[in-house]
Amino acid sequence: MTQPGYVGASSSITADDVPAFYEGAKFYSPAVGDANKSSVNSWLAGLLDRNGPVPLLKVEGVPPETPCVSVCVLGSGSAMADLPPAGDEFELAVRQIERLQRVEFGAVYPLAAATISALVAVVTAAQLRVPLLDADGMGRAFALIHHTSMHLSGVSPTPLAAVGPTGESVLVEVPAGPRADRMLRANVDTVGGWAALAAYPTTAGVLRRAALPGTVSRIANVGRLLLDRTDPDLLVTRLGAITGCRRLARGRIAELEHLSRPSDVTIPAHPSSLVVDEVGGLGRQLRIELRSEIVAVFADGALIAGAPDLMCLLDVSRGALATLDSLEPGDLIDVLVTPADAVWYSPRGIEMVGMGSHGIPLAHPRRR
Amino acid sequence: MRHPSTLPITLGELARIQPLAAAEPHLADPARKVEQVVLAETFERLRRCTPHGLVVLHNEAATGGWSLAAALHLAWERNLSAVVVARSVAGDSSVALAERLTMSLIVIDDDPIDVALHLAGQVSAPAAARALRQARLAEQLAEQTGIRGVLGVLNRELQQVPVALVMGGVVLGGQSAALTERPHVRQIEVEVHAPGERSTARLVAAVPVPGPADQVESLLRLARPSLQAAWAQSRLDAAARAAHEQAAFGLLRRLAGDPAPEPAEPAGVEAPGWAGELGWQVGEANRAVWLAPVRPAGEPAPEITFMIRASWQRGHTTWPLVAEGDGWISWHSSADPDDVTALRRALAGFRDSAVAHRLVIGVGRAHDGVAGLMRSVAEARLAAHVAREDGPGAVQWFDQVGANAALAWLPTTEIAQVADLCLEDLMAARDRAALVQTVLAVLDAGGSLSQASQQLGVHRNTVLARLSRARQFGLTYDEPGQRLALHVLCYALTSLWSDVTEAPS
Repeated sequence: MTQPGYVGASSSITADDVPAFYEGAKFYSPAVGDANKSSVNSWLAGLLDRNGPVPLLKVEGVPPETPCVSVCVLGSGSAMADLPPAGDEFELAVRQIERLQRVEFGAVYPLAAATISALVAVVTAAQLRVPLLDADGMGRAFALIHHTSMHLSGVSPTPLAAVGPTGESVLVEVPAGPRADRMLRANVDTVGGWAALAAYPTTAGVLRRAALPGTVSRIANVGRLLLDRTDPDLLVTRLGAITGCRRLARGRIAELEHLSRPSDVTIPAHPSSLVVDEVGGLGRQLRIELRSEIVAVFADGALIAGAPDLMCLLDVSRGALATLDSLEPGDLIDVLVTPADAVWYSPRGIEMVGMGSHGIPLAHPRRR
Repeated sequence: MRHPSTLPITLGELARIQPLAAAEPHLADPARKVEQVVLAETFERLRRCTPHGLVVLHNEAATGGWSLAAALHLAWERNLSAVVVARSVAGDSSVALAERLTMSLIVIDDDPIDVALHLAGQVSAPAAARALRQARLAEQLAEQTGIRGVLGVLNRELQQVPVALVMGGVVLGGQSAALTERPHVRQIEVEVHAPGERSTARLVAAVPVPGPADQVESLLRLARPSLQAAWAQSRLDAAARAAHEQAAFGLLRRLAGDPAPEPAEPAGVEAPGWAGELGWQVGEANRAVWLAPVRPAGEPAPEITFMIRASWQRGHTTWPLVAEGDGWISWHSSADPDDVTALRRALAGFRDSAVAHRLVIGVGRAHDGVAGLMRSVAEARLAAHVAREDGPGAVQWFDQVGANAALAWLPTTEIAQVADLCLEDLMAARDRAALVQTVLAVLDAGGSLSQASQQLGVHRNTVLARLSRARQFGLTYDEPGQRLALHVLCYALTSLWSDVTEAPS
């Protein structure tokens, strides 16, 4: 149990941490709407109340031979709001892999410590009564399930199990990681629009080098800062201390361009563009490229930030994060950029999740 | 033969010919030269562009809003002349960014590859492109039927170069900015001979230095035939209109002169409907203006009427101008008889033209209705006659003319002819002017020799001597029976001779 306003390390997750957890998870995937917020939060808070707090352990704090598995939500969040989970999907998915591999997992970790996936990892740990690892595979949210540090380290995502709200499940085994996402996408609609995914079964010893450490406790801390509604300037400074984020510019939204442009087919998204007139400073014209997330920010046509940087918009008048579906011309926003984990700026990382994967063939500003 | 210019073609010139003529240009600097055309498919290609190039975006480099923004930035970095892009990619914000970077952006509807090929041809052969432009201009000029239209085409085509048609210091059309002398601007003139016209008009263009002086001159020459045709046409029109107005005014005059057919109409004759067709207003307070030459020489030529109309109706196109006798009638109608501000302003604006054409102006008083208008016309005419004493440009308001107006009506020329017959000896004398002047001064002074000598500035004895000599020639001014006739005669001769000495030979 942590005091309100506490920011720092923690060894467990309690029901009181759930709202902060949710807000922090949203910071790392700003495109997600709030459709699930109350139902998921109360589900998780109820679980933690009944089953007790979930221990949050560092990867190094777990014996290296401990079998671990990651979980996440596959598919769209709005589908999850339409067809809410029965409650046992994630547990079932993990149990399927346990049966297949004849192991018993000693810890769970989120595939991505962001979006609803961060919360369902806590749910799964509470249901399985195992600790949660303070690590994940993305450090933010990326679009595809092989966009992980584990994949870059040679850990296979399979065997993986996907269980839909209909109770049906898919078990996938592929030799090449990137194929798994394709096969799963074809099945997600059939099993209810979203699915509970258990993947990357491995050991804690492998995760010590393959996973990104500290990302779960980080979203809890970020969430606490965001819940503590405060002056936007102060908020940006505080966030900067935890996440390394900084403000690119403050401006007013001038135009929303909804274009159906030809885009790379590997990532399902409709490209659109946001034009922001900078207030103060150099009065630059900012162009913010949107896919399923913000993928690039141009100032007067010069690229100043781009994927895999995490870019998000802060609604200055409310002092809260603005979700991409709530933007209106005339809104005053801060454009924040947070560096992703260093692994994403490696050549292979850039190739996988950089701007090229979103159809923007420009060199990343951090690599020029 | 003049050699066509081989200077690099400018953005403004390219935007005037196909395929860019159909595009939507946002030119930061039309005078910017274009040395090369690049069809850029990738950003890598854009990064290798050399300055002063025009880049046509295509494929990967034109995939969306961000790509145009990035391309504009690169173009700015590379000091390119312009960016050409398909409409599907360009939005309002891209135009705003182009303006912010002062980078020219041209939005096209055609296929970028076709456009790039065309442009490359034009840029590599600027002379051919210019010839194309001239051909296109010639087509446009040929479509114009009016002077205003021709000058409009020229001014649109030449953009930063104002063009005006000038005749004798009066701007007949176009932008008068062409005449103002400014630093770094050279004036190029082309003479335009109107058919059957003695005087010539000039087409004047103010070209910045250094600038495309040769091209401007050839464009002006190109416009000359159209201008001559338009001029002839407008003169035909003007002749028809003048005849129309004259006839209409004659009808008005007859209406006013006819005794009212029904005595139930004491207010006078209503303005007939057809007066409105000509744009004429006959209202409550009609104040007539008579424009007349200082020295009447019969009916004025239609060309003069045309030019007077052009300058008189500048800004007051509904004011009539009717050629009548040796002058022109116009009038101004308003509800308030004392409202003369518009008229005063018009008179002030017309002053230069009046001096240039050696005109005097008489203004009548304000009267009601058609009959009132005719009365005002008569007053204005009288006032104009009085105004002649003050030379070209003079304006005389009837309100300020007294009984002296009667003198203005004297047919001085005819009276002078009488003198030729009756006073043959006097007219043959060498000192006739001095004699007549002296007799007039004595008569004006009521017979007082001292007053007359004072007025003439000569000694009293000189006056006496002249009087006795005049008497020998038949100027028997002191005979009561002849005094009036001789007084009038002396007045007529003096005013006639003073006109002659004043008038330029």
